[in-house]
Amino acid sequence: MIQLLGNLAQNRSLLRTFVARDLRARYVGSSLGFFWSVIYPIMNLAVYLLVFQVILKMTWGPDKSPQEVVLLMLVSIVAWTAFSEGISRSTNVLVDHQNLIQKVVFPSEVLPAFVVSSAMINMVVALPIVIGVLFYAMLNPSEDPAVIAAAAASGHRGVQIGAQLLWVPVLLVLQTIFTVGLGYFFATFNLYWRDTFHVMGVALTVWMFITPIFYPAQRMIDQGYSWMLEINPMHWLMEMYRDVFAANQAPDPELLVRFAIASVAALFLGATFFDRQRSRFPDLL
Amino acid sequence: MYDTETERAKAGSRPESAGLGSSAIIARGASKAYRLYDKPIHRLWDLILPGGPRGREFWAVRDVYLDIPQGATVGIIGENGAGKSTLLKLLTGITQPTTGVIETEGRIASLLELGAGFHPEFSGRENIRLNCSILGMSDEETEARFQEIVEFSELGEFIDRPVKTYSSGMHVRLGFSVATTVDPDILIIDEALSVGDEHFKGKCINRLNDFQEMGKTTLFVSHDMGSIKSMCKHVVLMHEGRILEQGTAETVADEYLRRAHTRGNERISAINRQTDAYPRWGSGEIETGGIELFADGNEPTNVFEPGSPFRVRVQFEAHDSCDEPVFGIGVYRSDGTYVNGSNHFWRREPIELGRVAKGTKGHVEMAFEKLPLLQGSYYLSVFVYDHGKAAPTPIDHREHAAAFEVLDANHLQHGLLFLPTRWSVHAEGAEPRISAE
Repeated sequence: MIQLLGNLAQNRSLLRTFVARDLRARYVGSSLGFFWSVIYPIMNLAVYLLVFQVILKMTWGPDKSPQEVVLLMLVSIVAWTAFSEGISRSTNVLVDHQNLIQKVVFPSEVLPAFVVSSAMINMVVALPIVIGVLFYAMLNPSEDPAVIAAAAASGHRGVQIGAQLLWVPVLLVLQTIFTVGLGYFFATFNLYWRDTFHVMGVALTVWMFITPIFYPAQRMIDQGYSWMLEINPMHWLMEMYRDVFAANQAPDPELLVRFAIASVAALFLGATFFDRQRSRFPDLL
Repeated sequence: MYDTETERAKAGSRPESAGLGSSAIIARGASKAYRLYDKPIHRLWDLILPGGPRGREFWAVRDVYLDIPQGATVGIIGENGAGKSTLLKLLTGITQPTTGVIETEGRIASLLELGAGFHPEFSGRENIRLNCSILGMSDEETEARFQEIVEFSELGEFIDRPVKTYSSGMHVRLGFSVATTVDPDILIIDEALSVGDEHFKGKCINRLNDFQEMGKTTLFVSHDMGSIKSMCKHVVLMHEGRILEQGTAETVADEYLRRAHTRGNERISAINRQTDAYPRWGSGEIETGGIELFADGNEPTNVFEPGSPFRVRVQFEAHDSCDEPVFGIGVYRSDGTYVNGSNHFWRREPIELGRVAKGTKGHVEMAFEKLPLLQGSYYLSVFVYDHGKAAPTPIDHREHAAAFEVLDANHLQHGLLFLPTRWSVHAEGAEPRISAE
């Protein structure tokens, strides 16, 4: 793992070139260009709001205003999009760039790293919209007396903005490490079993719906599925993002430590597997 | 100078010392095995389950001993599937040998595939930068050479257009420009020059010559003996993953040609068995049968060399009597160029057959002493026409009745036909120099 990180550092200019190329390739030829990074999560949000809030009438608890619900969902959608894009593209990235692996001497560790970096940068580009919604929700607190009364009773302070946003970069870094670790693993695994790429598509969808993104975590606990939350690192991450963004609370230290350990473990596992098998990549493609 | 290198390369077949010395590339018993699986999933079982390995081993390259001195230009030749490309991948370090050792000295640029990693949406300019960093150049190095790359590629205004709008020739030009401008110590070329127009090909060859003069090592892979011979003095012949022979271009070329003959014969015999697929028409009184080609002797062959004797024999049988049948043969190049057509009647000394009775069997022969065709694939059309009528009508017309191939080791002339040229050079105040052949 250390060696792989060292190689990455050595090839950082190549990594930078690839990330820049990827970000630009995303929008070359499209008229809205970079705005898609912002439009995409908003569209997603609109769809899920329609399904879960308008049609299914999901209740998030009496003390949460609609503005806060929108914010909670948006934060999770943005973070999940970056994660799932990073994983699914990593899984196939070696196959997509087999030309480089088979025809030139190429530091292949750059490949999963660049797709994940690109996804994370895309997420950062979308963050201003989250901040925008955050400001809006804070400046327009709920005027519904029922919500105010419930919030007073439960001690819920509603949407807050403040210094705890400084935790965001920490969470972003941890998320990158976690995603890259899994990315290295699945990229390698996909060479042995090409169906991995297709399975990942399904697996990520399942994972998305068992992670409380469009509904409050409490619903799963009520249904007796709290063990699922206990073993789902993405849930820990989502909780921390929501605390930081919507409530101006520092992440729960236990969750933070757990997620940090999961991230390093994922990176260790992925990087070791990748490093062990890399000499065989040209033969496997 | 070269002879000593050849000696060394031979002696280097079993080198004892480990140092590279003045060698650019050394391979000691390098072999590469690929594992072929009946089902893709078995590869996964091999990774995670005990009880392997499953699948069959396929040795693409076996026991290769090479010692390529610095500054040499070496050609690797062999048929498709002889292991040339795998050997190149081993030498460039793209893949690791299963057994044995490969050592190289200096920066290697491989032209295994020109423009590997070009992104179709980006302009040529952006792709140059990208490709340079893929080839391991720092930003400063790229900047320093950028202009040279742009100029050499001769893309003009296309350099600012997306690569997806390029023709394949332009693609290759850009790729070649980048790969050769990175200033490698060892340059490895895999039949890359086969694309591109003549003008650019000339420029490429100039640049390769510059490389040789700068004392850089060049490895050149092809299955075209002609281009290998013109570029390299030392040639390695590969067959089924092994080095069959290595030495001077002349000695290896002979061996290669001998093999190409056998191989060509087998291949063309197979083609000739399927000639029924081509059009055939006529009234059918006379039917032509087997067609055999001979160089010298009575052993049929389908592969010839320029200048060798050439003889076609066509069997025939008359199913019905007919007046004045005339046999003819047309020679075509594989691209359809009509090279020659003749028959036994339209001659200064015509053969007139008169009435041919029902049940007559025999054969006709057309021959010449020296085949004037140059390297390429050719085919014959065979026909029998009824000249008893005012305008000849077809009795048996067979398009594409037989195929043959001309292989040329010497490449003394280029084009379609060997012409018996005579050259002379007249320098003022000196005896004229004359070459009659």
